[in-house]
Amino acid sequence: MAQRVADSERGARRIRAPRFAMALPAWIWFVFFFTLPVLWIVYYSFGYKPDIFHPIATDKLSFDTYHEAFSSTFLHVFSQTLQISILGTALCFLIGFPFAYWLATRVAPRWRGVLLGLVVVPFFVNFLVRTIGWFILLSPNGPVSSLLQRSGIRSEPLHLLETRGAVQLGVVYNYLALMILPLFVTLDRLDPAMREASKDLGASRWKTFRQVTLPLSAPGIVAGLLLVFIPLTGDYITALVLGGAKGNMAGVMVASQFTIAQNWALGAAQAVILIAMIMGTVAVFAVIALAIRTIARANRKITLPPIVEETA
Amino acid sequence: MSEPDEGLRILASPESAQRISRRAFMSGSVVVAVAGGSILLSACSSSSSAAGAASSGAASPTLEDQLAFLHWAAYDDPKLFKKFTQEFGPATSIDTYASNEEAITKLVAAAGSSGYDIVVPTGPYIPQMVANNLLQELDLSKIPNFKNLETVFTNQPWDPGNKHSVCKDWGTVGWIVDKSQISRPINTWNDFIDVAMNEASGNFSLLDAQNEVMGVYFWANGIDWTTTDQADLDAYEAWTLQMAPHVKKFESYPGYQFASGNYALSHVWNGDARQGFNSFKDPSRYSWGMGAPKTELWMDNWTIVQGAPHPEAAYAFINFILDPANSLQDLAFHGYNTGITGVKEAAQAAGYPFLDMIFFSDAQLATMQAQEINAAFDREVQIFLKMKAAAGG
Amino acid sequence: MSALEEPAKRRRRDLVDVTLRVWGIVVYAFLFLPILVIVAYSFNNGRAMLVWSGIGLDGYRTGITDPTIQDAVKTSIVAASGTALIATVLGSFAGIALARRKGKWTVLFLALVFLILVTPEIVDAIALLIWYVRIGGPFGPNATIPAVSYGMLRLWAGHSLFATAVVTLIVRARLQGLEETLEEAAADLYAPPARRFRQITLPLMFPAVLAGALLAFALSLDDTIISSFVSVAGASPWPVYVFSAVRNVLRPEIASVSTLLLMLTLIAIASVALVLRRTGQSGQDVAKTMTVGG
Repeated sequence: MAQRVADSERGARRIRAPRFAMALPAWIWFVFFFTLPVLWIVYYSFGYKPDIFHPIATDKLSFDTYHEAFSSTFLHVFSQTLQISILGTALCFLIGFPFAYWLATRVAPRWRGVLLGLVVVPFFVNFLVRTIGWFILLSPNGPVSSLLQRSGIRSEPLHLLETRGAVQLGVVYNYLALMILPLFVTLDRLDPAMREASKDLGASRWKTFRQVTLPLSAPGIVAGLLLVFIPLTGDYITALVLGGAKGNMAGVMVASQFTIAQNWALGAAQAVILIAMIMGTVAVFAVIALAIRTIARANRKITLPPIVEETA
Repeated sequence: MSEPDEGLRILASPESAQRISRRAFMSGSVVVAVAGGSILLSACSSSSSAAGAASSGAASPTLEDQLAFLHWAAYDDPKLFKKFTQEFGPATSIDTYASNEEAITKLVAAAGSSGYDIVVPTGPYIPQMVANNLLQELDLSKIPNFKNLETVFTNQPWDPGNKHSVCKDWGTVGWIVDKSQISRPINTWNDFIDVAMNEASGNFSLLDAQNEVMGVYFWANGIDWTTTDQADLDAYEAWTLQMAPHVKKFESYPGYQFASGNYALSHVWNGDARQGFNSFKDPSRYSWGMGAPKTELWMDNWTIVQGAPHPEAAYAFINFILDPANSLQDLAFHGYNTGITGVKEAAQAAGYPFLDMIFFSDAQLATMQAQEINAAFDREVQIFLKMKAAAGG
Repeated sequence: MSALEEPAKRRRRDLVDVTLRVWGIVVYAFLFLPILVIVAYSFNNGRAMLVWSGIGLDGYRTGITDPTIQDAVKTSIVAASGTALIATVLGSFAGIALARRKGKWTVLFLALVFLILVTPEIVDAIALLIWYVRIGGPFGPNATIPAVSYGMLRLWAGHSLFATAVVTLIVRARLQGLEETLEEAAADLYAPPARRFRQITLPLMFPAVLAGALLAFALSLDDTIISSFVSVAGASPWPVYVFSAVRNVLRPEIASVSTLLLMLTLIAIASVALVLRRTGQSGQDVAKTMTVGG
């Protein structure tokens, strides 16, 4: 408004740049280094592998590679990935929410910044190195195993490494911060007066939590769930380092088509399926969440009786 | 079905196959004239000071300042790399892979832009790599130490005349077992499979290389592992799906890991096993077994990548490593026979441990068979990847 | 509330409080456990990381003197600096546009940004590798740009994707939180757009830009998957070296160098936080800015 005033005062001879002009460089960068390459991969998923040493041919486009990608062994990996990621996200939430709640409501405001920073410090160590830390911890002759054996709790070395459990633990650890941060921000923003009002109106602590705190922190919860679920499902490193043969995840499977088999068509098809699976799961849970919200709203509806004028 | 003798025929023409028989190859009784006589003789006699002769590149071409390897892991003594840099100048860098398929994929995907100079493929993979323009032709005049190689290790059927490769070393495959966890003796591949599915279930590793896993099945069942019969491949696939749930990890370098107690049984190459034994606090607790009744004979080779940015440095290194003193030092580290003339005697004289894991008798050699890259290759790779997928959960 | 209930409520409150605090401590322990292990094993004097052979500084000595490691760390820092520059410039302008020049294009652009944030990194890595090889040019071995290797260009372009997206969101969040009144006032006082930008908008954005640059730097240092797929021999960053080591033999140098890098990163963050503090931000604001404004 002010700008238009200033411009018209100068005589609007200046040609106004389009509104998105400042975002144009970023836009071009994104399209050139993200959109186009990914679309290229999708294009490859319709190709096939012609012979041993040529990874892709696109003269004949078809869905054949998708048929192969939907084979039972590969689907098994996708389903295992989904299990690990849904359980992992749930665990991140169960661990992260009480923590964020504590930090946002029980810690003096002047310490919150520091303590939040402290949460983030481990995540400034390289992702891979953090995972190696767990590799050492879970190793059969690592500190935990030695401790357990020496104290007599276990008679043989720890066999946690190279299992699905190790991957489950690793992914929860690696993505926990992404759950805590948005949860904290939302809970921190909550006006404590809301909770006090609820208590003043006679609600028990649990009811306050359930009907005031939780719904108000919904945006943060959703953000946290998404921020964890999506990268977790596509995780590659944790599965590779901690998983061995048993902890196979879709990301590793897709990668091996490109690093070992040289079958770009199959790898591309699997990558597309992975992305579709992530989006599909998010969509399903969004629908469920909306359904729950509608039902909850309906239950909470209060119908007021018609106002009756009292005769004086 | 086929005798061990035919194993090496691979991609050689029938005429050359007549020329190269297994015994001839192994016994070294066939003397093949090696090109470039005079320089080699003088260099040979002063092997210990070979390094000095090549200092500062007085008469040699100027070397680049870097040398990039695409290499197997733990495959050369790091001290030798330092020595090379000190004497010749180029700084070395290594990126590793666990199987030939991985190396080839990297080179194919990069299409000449990978930036690597030297790659070390196993012999049977070389012809196809050449056909797909991944390797440079070698100028053997730049590798005077080539003559140090025993002649039976030169002029292989997959690379006649050593146009693209020079022998680095050769070896075989077998297993390591932790006797404190597995009391049963393992003498054959069938024993290996049986123990793997029972006592060692969930606690053993297979090599992360599709051809090796394939070998285990075919040798255990008396089938020639160069088969392209679809019925054989179907049976192999069915077996992989049975075996998959028992595998703890696909690991190409279990030697060191064994000392950490990660596995009770491991599928392993002989040199890597030996590196493990060198690190064990109590070697008598473990036992190494060579594959039986049949096992692999593989040879890894120095090759120069097509489009290598530092070819002169690459030649300098290959020549450097073929020097007998350096070769002996390397052998002591990686545990594979480097094929240099007199290296076995030198190793024995130096008293290096576990030499029985490096040098094999004629009887043992007779059981070894080389691989073949044929029409079944793509399917075998996919079977392997499916096995990895099935191993999860 | 009866007098009888009050003490009961106070007791319960204490229990919940205590539980929450204990949980907080447990979570901190969980978060720091592997880090402490890494730092501990960085003092392992042995050859293999997992085989403890006495306490010493061998790992640090090797880590600092080994030329391959030096190369890798140097590559990482150069890559991170370039990425931070690209991401900050592109992301800041994009963030300003999103906050101040909203329009029909906003939804589309935001969708692209979110798409970048949610695509699995492995897909990015594979797509970029194939793309680089396909388009060649500055990303191939026949590049003719002086002083910069094509491997480094690959890293800059690859790392800057996620980083730019993050910086965009941070700057946008920051500007959205500030009303345009100050800029409008400047306009009313006849300040031309360039001056307005330089003297009002930029200083207002500064904390977010700084935080964004730092985050971009850290993200690039951390990037493993894209690096391991697109990197070229001679331009391999540190995480690729570690990745290689994981798949063969882990040595204490890895832990030592990682510890050193962590110290450096913490010092950098502390400095930035200090600077932000000086410009009037509270500790909480700083933390919130760096976590994408919430």
